[in-house]
Amino acid sequence: MIGDFPQLLINGLLAGTQLAVPAIGFTTVFAVLRFPNFAVASHATIGAYAGYLANTAFGLPAGAALLVAFLVAGLFGVASDEIVLRRLRSSGPLTVAIASVALTIVLENAVRFGFGNDPRGYDLAVLRDWRVDLGWLGLVRIGPQQVINAGAAAIAMALLFGFLGFTRTGKMMRAVADNPMLAALKGINAETVARLANFIGMGLAGYGGMLIAMDTAVDPLTGFRVMLSIFAAAVVGGLGSIPGAVLGAFVIGVGEEMSVLLFDPTYRTAVGFFAILIVLTLRPRGLLGERAV
Amino acid sequence: MTLRLRRRTALLGSLAAPFISRLAAAQTGPIRLGTLTPQTGAGGPYGPPMVKTVQAVVADINAAGGVLGRKIELVSEDDETNPDSAVRAARKLIDVEKVSAIIGTWASAVTTAVAPLCWENKVMLFTVSGADSITKLPHNGYIIRTQPNTYLQSGMAAQFLAKSGAKSVFALSAQTPFAVDSYNRLAEVLAASGAKALGDVIYDPAKTSFRSEIDQALKTKPDALFLNSYTPDLAVILRELYRAGYEGKKFTYGYAANAKLIESVGAEVAEGLISFAPSPDLDSPSYARIKALLGNEPDPYSCQVYDHISLAALAIAKAGAATGSAIHDSVRAVGNRAGSKVTDAVAGLKLLAAGKEVNFEGASGPCKFTALGDIEGCRFRFDVAEKGKYRLLSLI
Repeated sequence: MIGDFPQLLINGLLAGTQLAVPAIGFTTVFAVLRFPNFAVASHATIGAYAGYLANTAFGLPAGAALLVAFLVAGLFGVASDEIVLRRLRSSGPLTVAIASVALTIVLENAVRFGFGNDPRGYDLAVLRDWRVDLGWLGLVRIGPQQVINAGAAAIAMALLFGFLGFTRTGKMMRAVADNPMLAALKGINAETVARLANFIGMGLAGYGGMLIAMDTAVDPLTGFRVMLSIFAAAVVGGLGSIPGAVLGAFVIGVGEEMSVLLFDPTYRTAVGFFAILIVLTLRPRGLLGERAV
Repeated sequence: MTLRLRRRTALLGSLAAPFISRLAAAQTGPIRLGTLTPQTGAGGPYGPPMVKTVQAVVADINAAGGVLGRKIELVSEDDETNPDSAVRAARKLIDVEKVSAIIGTWASAVTTAVAPLCWENKVMLFTVSGADSITKLPHNGYIIRTQPNTYLQSGMAAQFLAKSGAKSVFALSAQTPFAVDSYNRLAEVLAASGAKALGDVIYDPAKTSFRSEIDQALKTKPDALFLNSYTPDLAVILRELYRAGYEGKKFTYGYAANAKLIESVGAEVAEGLISFAPSPDLDSPSYARIKALLGNEPDPYSCQVYDHISLAALAIAKAGAATGSAIHDSVRAVGNRAGSKVTDAVAGLKLLAAGKEVNFEGASGPCKFTALGDIEGCRFRFDVAEKGKYRLLSLI
């Protein structure tokens, strides 16, 4: 069993990088709008399908298709917020959160209506794993696609941190996240920032959705399947904290894989719930609290 | 005072009138039957052609004058391949739509969840689910299934694997009501044939990655893997097996290995995947009819629901009543081996109207049922994926 440790750790870390991107998207929306937008699930799916169309119908390479996934999911995010969620914001965060669950079901079924239920794959060669001999630790397998995905996830995260840390617009977003009242007094337009947060948040969900789909398959449930893990990652790291979402994604990714050492794989889903339970009991504000950056 | 009373009586009478006419309509109006199929969820690829097939049979029957002089009215609901949603949909079919039969539950978990509603309300349940446990429920005869049960299927799979030279088999199973039964029977038959079952991992099909599960399986160095999966998780598992460089045999159920699977994972990843399925009666005229209707080779479930709706219509005609218990009492009598053989409902209804006995043999097979509600037997086909296409390997 201990011999499995390095392999499980690698599987978990790679799963964590993939999870991190949509988790950042989720937490970005929360940081600015203060409600959990469960529509990340359908936006991840929409991103995966947008990338699929770009890749198979228009023949774009995976990198360009990822950009399409980001843009399309981001635009859908802004549109669905304008049309559905924004009107409910005055009724409190719980109402909007519930509406976002309904929204995700509607969008998921709209995807199903257009593309059907069957799983689809990108026009990418499936690559054989690399085998790495770690000496006394044994042999581990590493998937090239997963490493590429981890790289793509790292690029997205670096860009986001750069944007939030060094651009004027990024600083505006952080200001609203930290203290909306003070930001308003300084003349920052909350609506513009909200739209931007939705665009970036849902765009990242779409980007992450496509990364997950590249590793597995595109189907209408692509986003929904990882919803709980995304939510758990964001809560564990501290809702609203972007570095927290990254850390949380690693905790959940590694935790889910490592759990097979102790439990039947059937119970892997329970890890997410369990992590939420422990963190909310011991550190209700999450591992890193809720400072945005 | 008398006037007011009279008024009130008149009022009550006029209020009651629609209900009385509805009550009368229940005996003379249309016969209501329901389908409960997976339009969404893991079974989503199968539900739509199933409903289309049932609708076509109903249209045929109605065009030929209906059953007992009454039209059939079909109500179709989506079970979402999810027991929760299925129970809500079944409640609607039974309580609101007042159907006398529910046709087409696909996932075993769904069938297990809606079955008690059916037998308690004396509504006949026709299903295509395979879990052994289903017909062992105390259903008093209100479940009939055309799908061979897990016991029959796993035994068949094990025999085939042993015969094809696999000495050791590991099973990866999605968490379903039949995962354990299926593995136990597989191990039993493999042992009897001189081969060995190395173990099984039951995984949660709702996860996106199964790398750690696959590592567990490959550590045992099996000759063959028995992939007891549904299509979405099978697509992921096949890719991961390919990445892991697994070269042994891959064996799965036919419902998971459909044409879309190869499209999704690509020819190279699917290469060598052997799938097996209870085979419809390929020579039956009903099979040809469904093929023409759907425009491609029908899957086994479309063939089975063709038989379900036909059996229900024939049983109603045979019993002379359209209730669930009438179907329950007569469903075996329309497969009377002494009667004239028919392969479609319209021909059978004509014979029954003329007072003759019928022997219905449908698109899925002979449709003869044991006392528990299982089919007595059927054929099996084995296909292998080669260069992006399935090729028939053998028909047993």
